[in-house]
Amino acid sequence: MSSVPENLRYTEEHEWLANTSGVTKVGITDFAQDALGDIVYVQLPSLGAKISAGAVCGEVESTKSVSEIYAPVSGSVSAINERLAVEPELINAEPYEGGWLFEVEIEGNPEGLLSPEEYRKAIGA
Amino acid sequence: MPIEYPAANGGGVLAEHDAVRTRVGIFDVSHLGKAHVKGAGAVEFLNTAFTNDLNRIGAGQAQYTLCCTPEGGVVDDLIVYIRSQDDVLLIPNASNTSEVVRRLKQAAPAHILITDEHESYGVIAVQGPQSAALLTKLGLPTDMAYMSWVESDFQGSPVIVCRTGYTGEHGYELLPAWSETGKVWDACAALLPEFDGRVCGLGARDTLRTEMGYPLHGHELSLDISPVQARANWAVGWEKPAFWGRDALMAEKTRGAAWLLRALKAQDRGIPRPGMIVKNDAGAVLGEVTSGTFSPSIKTGIALALLSREVAVGDLVVVDVRGRDARMEVVNPPFVPSHVK
Repeated sequence: MSSVPENLRYTEEHEWLANTSGVTKVGITDFAQDALGDIVYVQLPSLGAKISAGAVCGEVESTKSVSEIYAPVSGSVSAINERLAVEPELINAEPYEGGWLFEVEIEGNPEGLLSPEEYRKAIGA
Repeated sequence: MPIEYPAANGGGVLAEHDAVRTRVGIFDVSHLGKAHVKGAGAVEFLNTAFTNDLNRIGAGQAQYTLCCTPEGGVVDDLIVYIRSQDDVLLIPNASNTSEVVRRLKQAAPAHILITDEHESYGVIAVQGPQSAALLTKLGLPTDMAYMSWVESDFQGSPVIVCRTGYTGEHGYELLPAWSETGKVWDACAALLPEFDGRVCGLGARDTLRTEMGYPLHGHELSLDISPVQARANWAVGWEKPAFWGRDALMAEKTRGAAWLLRALKAQDRGIPRPGMIVKNDAGAVLGEVTSGTFSPSIKTGIALALLSREVAVGDLVVVDVRGRDARMEVVNPPFVPSHVK
C-alpha cells in the first residue's frame, strides 16, 4: 500500500508539495516511485529557473522508463536537491524526505491541488 | 515473465541484476521457441542452412548460430543442440520460431521432420556464480563445459541441463517437460533464500546481456542488420561451401560493411536508449543506438549502436538524449568481464 502522508498536498501527476504558499519542497509520491521502479537519473530545473504550473520542468529516469516532472505550481526554483545527482535512488528509498526534488518560491494561488484523501482516491488506495 | 518482480519482495531490476552478477538468479524463459529437426543427416542439412559451422561441435554440445535470408538479413539468432547427427533441438527467439521452422521445412529433404515443439519444454535459466551450488542441491549435474549439455532427471522427470545463458555469468538453462516446469521452478525458487538469490525478470535479463554486448534480435540483428554489420563474424562458418545468405555476406565482408556495431560508454549522467541518434562533435549523424540502458554494474549509461564504419574505438561521440547532448566513448565490449567459462 502506497504511503500518502496527511501533511502534504498532491497533483494528478503524482507530485507532492509541502506548502501551498511561500516556499515549498516538491517531490514525487510513493505511488509514483513504486510504479517507476529503480530510479537511476534525475534531471531537475536549474536554480532560479521560472517554472509554470502544469509545464514540464524535469525528468525522472528509471531502469524501466523515463517520466517527465510537471511543475505543480508556478514560481521560481529556490533550491535543488544536489544529492540526487549521485544518489537518485533516494527517491525510491525516501520519496517524502531525502528524495525531495526541488524547492520553489510560489507565485500566485496554486490551483488544482489534491488533498491526501483525494489523491488516495485518484490512485485507488 | 514480468519486467521485474516486486520491490517489496526484494525484486527490482537493480537487485535482480546484482543477484546474478554476485550470487544467483533464476529466469522463467519458457517463452523461448523450441523446435526439433529429426531424420537421417539432420545436422548435415542444418549446416547448409545456418551460418555457423556445426562440424565444430558434436553430440552433447550446443552452438550459437544465425538463420539468414539469401540477402544476408537475419531471420533469427538461435542455439542448436545436437543430440546425434540425426536429432537436433533448436531454441530460437519466441517471435521468430514459426518463420525459422517455415524456412527449414521449405528447404529440407522430405525425410527430415521439422516440428514446432513450443509446449514440449519449459526453459528455466539459473545464472550466477552460485548457480552450480544451487543445481547441486537439486541433484542436477553441473560439471559440463561451457556450451555443453546433458540429459538428466529431477524427481523422476527428464530435464535437459545446458551450460548456456544470456547473462555473461557462469550459468545453466534447464529444459524440463512443459508440464513439469512449474515443479522445477518452485524447487529452484525454494532454494534462493539460502543463496540470497532472486527471481529475475526481463529488465535484468536485458541489462545483463547489454553489459556483455550480446545482441538481441530486432535490435542488433535483423533483416536489415547483417552479421557482418553486427560483427558476429565469429558465428559464421566462412569456409563452408553453402549456407543461407553466403554469397551476399561474403560480398559484404569483402567490400567492408558500411555500418558496424559498436559499444558506447557514457561519460556523463546521460542514459542512451534505443533509437537515439549518435553524432560527432560537429553534429554530423554517425548512426543510432540499437540498445541502451543504465548499467547497474558500472553505474553509468551504456549502449550498443550501429555506426558508420569510420568510427573507431576510443572516439568520442555525442548521443542526443531527448534534446540534450550526452558525451560517450566508443569502447570494446563487454562492459564487465565475462565469467561464462
